Amino acid sequence: MKKILLVDDEQDIVETLKFVLESDGYTCFCAYNGEDGLKLAKEIIPDLMILDIMMPKINGFKISRLLKYDAKYKNIPIIMLTARSQESDKQIGEETGADVYITKPFDLDNVLSTVKQLLNEKEE
Amino acid sequence: MVSDNNKKIKHYDELLTNFSHDFQFASDNQMFFDILDTVMPQIILLDTCSAQLDLPQLYRKINAIKENLVTLTILKEDKIPPELLNISDAFLMEPVSDNILISTINVNLRRKEALTRLSTSNQNLSKSLYQLDVLYNTGSQFAATLDKEKLINIMLEGLDKALGFSVACVLTFKSDNEPLLIINSINQISDRLLEALKLRAVLNYKSLFENKEMPFELNINDLKTIKYAKNPIEDYDFSVLRYDNMLAQINLSDNFYGFVEIYRDNEFTNEDTQCFHTIAQQVSMPLKNAAYVQEIQAKNKELYRLEHLKSEFVSIVSHELRTPITPLKTSLEIMLSGRAGILTPNMEKFLNIGKNNVETFQKIINDLLDMSKIEAGKMDYKFTSVNMEKAISFVKTLQNNVADEKGLKLTTTFDEDFATVFADEQRIHQVLNNLLSNAIKFTKEGGNIDISTKIINAENIKCPECFSEEIKKLKGKYVQVCVKDEGIGIEDENLAKIFDQFKQIESSLSREVGGTGLGLPIVRKILDAHNGAIWAESKVGEGSSFYFVLPVMSEKSNFWILHKQLIQQAKVNKTKFVTLTISAKGNCIENLMQENNLLSGTYLNNSLLEKDKDLTSLTMVIPDGDRHLVDFLKRKIDSVILNDKARYGKCDIIYTYTTYPKEKE
Repeated sequence: MKKILLVDDEQDIVETLKFVLESDGYTCFCAYNGEDGLKLAKEIIPDLMILDIMMPKINGFKISRLLKYDAKYKNIPIIMLTARSQESDKQIGEETGADVYITKPFDLDNVLSTVKQLLNEKEE
Repeated sequence: MVSDNNKKIKHYDELLTNFSHDFQFASDNQMFFDILDTVMPQIILLDTCSAQLDLPQLYRKINAIKENLVTLTILKEDKIPPELLNISDAFLMEPVSDNILISTINVNLRRKEALTRLSTSNQNLSKSLYQLDVLYNTGSQFAATLDKEKLINIMLEGLDKALGFSVACVLTFKSDNEPLLIINSINQISDRLLEALKLRAVLNYKSLFENKEMPFELNINDLKTIKYAKNPIEDYDFSVLRYDNMLAQINLSDNFYGFVEIYRDNEFTNEDTQCFHTIAQQVSMPLKNAAYVQEIQAKNKELYRLEHLKSEFVSIVSHELRTPITPLKTSLEIMLSGRAGILTPNMEKFLNIGKNNVETFQKIINDLLDMSKIEAGKMDYKFTSVNMEKAISFVKTLQNNVADEKGLKLTTTFDEDFATVFADEQRIHQVLNNLLSNAIKFTKEGGNIDISTKIINAENIKCPECFSEEIKKLKGKYVQVCVKDEGIGIEDENLAKIFDQFKQIESSLSREVGGTGLGLPIVRKILDAHNGAIWAESKVGEGSSFYFVLPVMSEKSNFWILHKQLIQQAKVNKTKFVTLTISAKGNCIENLMQENNLLSGTYLNNSLLEKDKDLTSLTMVIPDGDRHLVDFLKRKIDSVILNDKARYGKCDIIYTYTTYPKEKE
């Protein structure tokens, strides 16, 4: 079973995403702040991560950068979530190594198909 | 009279006393000098027949003081000694006739009086001139500053120059009604004099408002003082209070501002009084301006604060209102997907209603945020080359489902020529999406909607009268996009209004359709920022056509044309831009770009890859605010940015950094 790590300080978002992903057969791990997220990522080495940008302590960019510059973790695909007002973040997200960038409020089907696609690519 | 002849002295004593002149005589040199020490005679009658006198010594003495007196000389013979020519005003020959002597004395006395009067008025005139000059100078100095303290200092300087005071006291009230006494003096003010001046200031202040209400309460204990003394060694004491003094009120239009009082040890003349009051009045106008400026500055500060609050509010709204939408929408989607359990048809119906409304809500918030961003000049545009046909097809696919549900037929008619524009792709999608969703909303079921493009020259553009003003400004080649619906139509008088913010026609139309009425104003602002234009044609009951034009980017656009456009766009956006031009020989540039994964960025523009035999160049436009990308580039090709020209592998890399100053906030 594929392991997915969800990191977002908004619990409701984590909750809903977890429900959907688990009902689709993935195993989910959750963290509600950047610090825990990073710790958990290094501990479990997930198959994929869904990261929020705006978080207290360590934000999504930093986590992404730290992981992508580390040979041990750089192959973990990262989906970056953020609010629409921070459009220029998209570029930064790409720079920090996030594989896909999704704007909140997102389309559930869009998230699911992206997860599927990224995991398939990784297999290959 | 100076003479050694007693007979003559006696004769003239009698004669002149009879004519009521004051007569004194000197019969030797010493006696003459003694008299000069006590009284200065108006006329000296010098008898040069006096052999016993030391005449040359007398001449020298008279020569030294001749400015102030008239000298008449009695000569022995008809021959004037040359040393007398300079000092004597008239010569009389012996024997002197009494009548001639008297008349000579009278004539000379009158002449002297006239001269004295003339010189006095001359002196007064030059004093007035000087005061005028000072007035003029202080006047022009007043105009040069709006600082209240400086203005008071200029006034005191002017008073000092024009009138020369010993002590000047100025009483003012600061903005918080705090009384302040400024004392300028030549000598130091002693402590007990200071107390006396303070008391005096309070009394003066009260006397200015006799029987009237005072604008501010003045208590001697609250009165703060500042002292300036030119000569810090000597002290002034109470004697100053006995000096001549003048007091003038300083008014700001009808309001009391303060007063100025000056003391001088010699008396003031009428002219001095006038000059004093003029200077005190002169300072009022600039003080009034200074007060206005202060007020405006305070208001500006407040406005700036409010503006700041507003944008803060907008960002709070953006975060706080949007945050709950995500889980709300996702929850509905989860239920609709059946993951949370099987749904009855009614459950599905109502969940769909919920989902649709969440989406509408999201759209309204986005519109509001877009508008406030545009208004604050904070809308960022990322310009790239955009293919209009592609953009239209993309938006059409997005709306296809909605159109199908309503049984509408969506068609497109494209011009044979390709239409590429230099624009922000997302914003162009927004424009098209807005127009298309409006068309879908208004068209009755089973109707047709057509989107067409046409390459057109500015002078061939046709539009209704009310838009012609704006269309006239356009020049060159444009792509014209038309979204034609079969809706209810818009009345002519409302046609121009629909693009104005909050002027959404009041009719039932807007209520029927809903929305913030911001969609079209936003579209218009976006097109404005792209140097485009928008207008509409309509027939009530038949439908409307919405047209917009954008300047076409020619396929041949070379770097410099693009560069010009960039500069133009940078000015529209009021942002700083960095342009990076990288040129290299052969395929190096492509290798370099691919190696660094630079080609994936939306900032890069493939059409800018200008291939000239073996030279390739590429230009990137990076909004300056995007520090991360700049940092990224620095990291990747740091030698490029740190040095104007650097080697990167086999490539010659040149970069240009251009900035445009941000508008002052």
